[in-house]
Amino acid sequence: MNQRLNWRDVDWLLLLVVLILVAFGITMVYSATFTTEDLSDYWLRQLVFALIGLTGLVIMALFDYRHLELLAPPSFILFVMLLVAVFLFGDTQGTGSQRWLNIGGTLVQPTEAGKFLMIVFMAWYLSWFQDRMHRLPYLIGALALLLGPLALIYLQPDLGMAVTYAFIGGMLILVSGIRYWQLFMLTGSALATVPFFLGTLQGYMLERLDVFFNPEANQDAAFNINQALIAIGAGGWMGRGWAHGSQNQLHFLRVRHTDFIFSVISEELGWIGAMLALMLLFFVVWRLLRIADMARDHFGRLLAVGVAGLVFFQIVVNVGMNLSLVPVTGLTLPFISYGGSSLVSMMLAIGLAQSVAMRHRKIEFQ
Amino acid sequence: MFEQKIRDTSGISMFLFRAALFLAFLLMAGRLYQLQIVQGDSYRARADDNRFTLIEMPAPRGVIYDRSGEILTRNRPSFEIGVVPEDLPYNDPATEEDEEALEIARVLRLVGADTDEETALRIAELLFLRLGRVDYARTVGEAGVQLTYITVPGPVQLVIPEDGGPPREEAQPVLAPDISEPLPLPGLVALVQRAVAIGRQGSASQPVPILDLLDRDKAFAVAEEAYQLPSVRVEEVPVREYVTGDLMSHILGFMGPIPAAAAQDYRERGYTNPNEKVGLNGLEFTYQRELRGIPGYKNIEVDILGREMRTVGEVAEPVPGLNLILNIDRRLQQVMQDELEAMMEQQEAPWGVVVAMDPQTGAVLGMVSLPSYNNNIFAERIGEDYMELEADERRPLINYAIGGLYPPGSVFKMVPAAAALSEGVINRSTTIVDAGPIYLPNRYAPNNPELAQEFVSWNHKLGIVHGAINVVEALALSNDIFFYIIGGGYPPTQFQGLGQAKLSEWTARFGFGELTGVDLPGEVSAIVPNDQWKRQLYAESWTTGDSYNMAIGQGYVLATPLQVLVSTAAVANGGTIYRPQIVRQIVDASGGLQRDFEPIAVRDVGVDADLMELVQQGMWSAVNAPGGTAYGAKLDNVVVAGKTGTAEFCEYIPEEEDCRRDEKGFLPFHGWFVSYAPYDDPEIALAVFLYDGGEGSEVAVPVARGILEYYFSEISPR
Repeated sequence: MNQRLNWRDVDWLLLLVVLILVAFGITMVYSATFTTEDLSDYWLRQLVFALIGLTGLVIMALFDYRHLELLAPPSFILFVMLLVAVFLFGDTQGTGSQRWLNIGGTLVQPTEAGKFLMIVFMAWYLSWFQDRMHRLPYLIGALALLLGPLALIYLQPDLGMAVTYAFIGGMLILVSGIRYWQLFMLTGSALATVPFFLGTLQGYMLERLDVFFNPEANQDAAFNINQALIAIGAGGWMGRGWAHGSQNQLHFLRVRHTDFIFSVISEELGWIGAMLALMLLFFVVWRLLRIADMARDHFGRLLAVGVAGLVFFQIVVNVGMNLSLVPVTGLTLPFISYGGSSLVSMMLAIGLAQSVAMRHRKIEFQ
Repeated sequence: MFEQKIRDTSGISMFLFRAALFLAFLLMAGRLYQLQIVQGDSYRARADDNRFTLIEMPAPRGVIYDRSGEILTRNRPSFEIGVVPEDLPYNDPATEEDEEALEIARVLRLVGADTDEETALRIAELLFLRLGRVDYARTVGEAGVQLTYITVPGPVQLVIPEDGGPPREEAQPVLAPDISEPLPLPGLVALVQRAVAIGRQGSASQPVPILDLLDRDKAFAVAEEAYQLPSVRVEEVPVREYVTGDLMSHILGFMGPIPAAAAQDYRERGYTNPNEKVGLNGLEFTYQRELRGIPGYKNIEVDILGREMRTVGEVAEPVPGLNLILNIDRRLQQVMQDELEAMMEQQEAPWGVVVAMDPQTGAVLGMVSLPSYNNNIFAERIGEDYMELEADERRPLINYAIGGLYPPGSVFKMVPAAAALSEGVINRSTTIVDAGPIYLPNRYAPNNPELAQEFVSWNHKLGIVHGAINVVEALALSNDIFFYIIGGGYPPTQFQGLGQAKLSEWTARFGFGELTGVDLPGEVSAIVPNDQWKRQLYAESWTTGDSYNMAIGQGYVLATPLQVLVSTAAVANGGTIYRPQIVRQIVDASGGLQRDFEPIAVRDVGVDADLMELVQQGMWSAVNAPGGTAYGAKLDNVVVAGKTGTAEFCEYIPEEEDCRRDEKGFLPFHGWFVSYAPYDDPEIALAVFLYDGGEGSEVAVPVARGILEYYFSEISPR
């Protein structure tokens, strides 16, 4: 099945850009943390995470993604069970939301890895029943399988993650292809549930939304957003120079090495630097969509689209938050933000896409 | 497959995804352009606001020297610990605990407020001074901490007795919290929180001092441990040290935190640091502007915790405060205090004042008001000393030389004498016969001699009559009959006196009824009594008897010892009222003269020189002629002129509905003596006052003699 793997089929350009972004991320993490004693070795840690991620990427690429079809249903069941476990015995970590499972002293957030399980499972379901998707029960089945975990995540509560899942799931369904009448029906019923959701929004979610829509009234909570805007704005065309941003170096920016790393880039490297970073990030998404177009089967195509959607969504939400275009959520900037699980999982996702790329349609012509 | 792509969403979705990719990119690029390029300058400015902080560098306060260059105050280095309101944690109302209070408690434990009693006391004192007694008591009470209270004399009010007696001062008692007991931690936390809340309204970045007077070692120890408490600041704040202690406290005054009531005023005058200490009394208050200097400023870069990273741009160095050189001679001041203190002890007099002035210029050479207090207690531990001061019925904080109003008695007689001579009521040879007491008919029963009002002279009590005397003799003997008659006239002999209007006019000319304008705060003055004033206050018209009493410095006339001295100096110098001045020169830190003392003549009283000479002769005779009332002030090496006074006063006792009297029914009296010397070319004029001290000639004259002896042997030897 995976005979004659050709190394030329690897999307080298995608890999190169990802590695550039990761290296760039390490230098920015250095700039954001080297003046803080407790964090001063974070750039080194990020480097280690990057090496682990790269190893994972290579292994993932060599692994034939089609084997995943077998793993999809059991892993989905496991995932749902984990979510139920979180719902019943979860740890709150003092945040007021029940997201973590304490497994032998280690805290695990199932929804992080769950994003990929969701992509793989949705891709499997949609490709497996591709021919029958125009029949309503199969579509409703897909929606039910999506909404089950979604509801559990929403109840944790974790609005950001729920929206991420909804976005990826919805996008996969659309890309897989449904009839237009089905689309209109779904849109209509989704709109009908909006009032219900507004009623169940948790207090902290409303607060964040209120801070976003009404910043003057939320001085203390708006502090971070405001400082991010000041940092970005102070960057100007060329920036204040790497490791010379006052907002960053004097710690007016909070969580600067993770959620607000884009503000650090904008402050220190200016409009030019921020635009270059954005271009590279969007290039990655573009390239992932290209892989999707070239995929040999529907499953591979949906996998690549899922990865593209995930990367795209995180870029938009994270950068949008830095630019005060969307409310604050804890989503990191792919490849750049500090964080082991975030970086490694993003690189694994790229590896998965590479696996699809290396086994593209060319085989059919042989 | 292509067919399907048209019928369902799979094809268009990929297209829409790519379109969304573009749109998102364009939107972000545009937003970045808007933030960084269009609004870049304003955000750059806000980033600079974040990182730069303007720091005020206090100027070293000017020091004070006496006339001969002896240092009276200096600045001692000391350290202060404060908390910065804006660096304290935000008290999240959603949580049970008060995060701000917890942090403050941590800070207080760090400095040892829970273990060291002295520290706890000082913190409470400092906040007591800052908040005032009312706010202090309320804050501690609301924190659920039991406070003990003590009664202290409060503000003084002039009380007019209902039965028509002379007006007098009374202190209204008020309750004050006892700060000599250490407060438990919750009370201190509440106080600091209150001070922080007030501090936030001013400038939240300015530290609120909670503990001061730390030495270098302790301060550094706290600074080292405070790294995890970002709100703690340790600053060097020099402490004012008064070398002379209670000898000069009424003159020098003291410093303290800006009182809450005056905060607005100081802010408008450019005091950007609400924690600055300012002069609250004495010269420290009057010359606050000169002594303070001009604070310097520097721009520093700070991180989010307010820690100084580096200095940026130009530094405006502080301009040191100006130094004061006083007219006061410390040695003379010491002798004045010693002499007065000894006599007060002997006579058990509760209060006493001595003031010395150069009658030719108005330069104040010394000013003693007893009891005094140690002004260092305001800078240092106040605790029990302060409570004692607050509780002292004699109110030692008041400078009675300028803040006490007393009947002047016979030391006032130079005024009616000069007036009568100038107005032609008498001339140098006019004699009036003292043949014993005189009587004024009762205005409602003019024909009943039983009800007539009797006026006696002091000598009648001793069985002496002075016979026919002229003005010089009258002054020398302090004969009251003479002054009754020139003041109010005497109907049986058809003698026309000065009368109320002339008496009041001349009294005012000699500086009574107006502030002397001395460069000290807290001066008071009574008004010169007249007909209209009496009608308004007592609903009675002025009587001849009132003129009689006024002419001998009794009745409604009240004056401060300094006013009496200024009028005496006018007699000595031939008729010029000078404004008394404590400060002789103001010099800058490098010794350059900034302001030189110039005598300020307020007015000339308008007495011809030859007539004034008669008044001077009267004062000469009182000291130098045999039988003069002030013979005890006569010196061998220098000619002294003087005038004694023994002023009756009424100390109202409500239970008896009468004034305090001795067993013979006589009122108690203040002892007065005014003098100047040398007679021909006066250098020094002196006023001595002992409250309830006895006869002026017996108690005040010896004090003056000791002072003058010292002056003319040690300071201006003959």
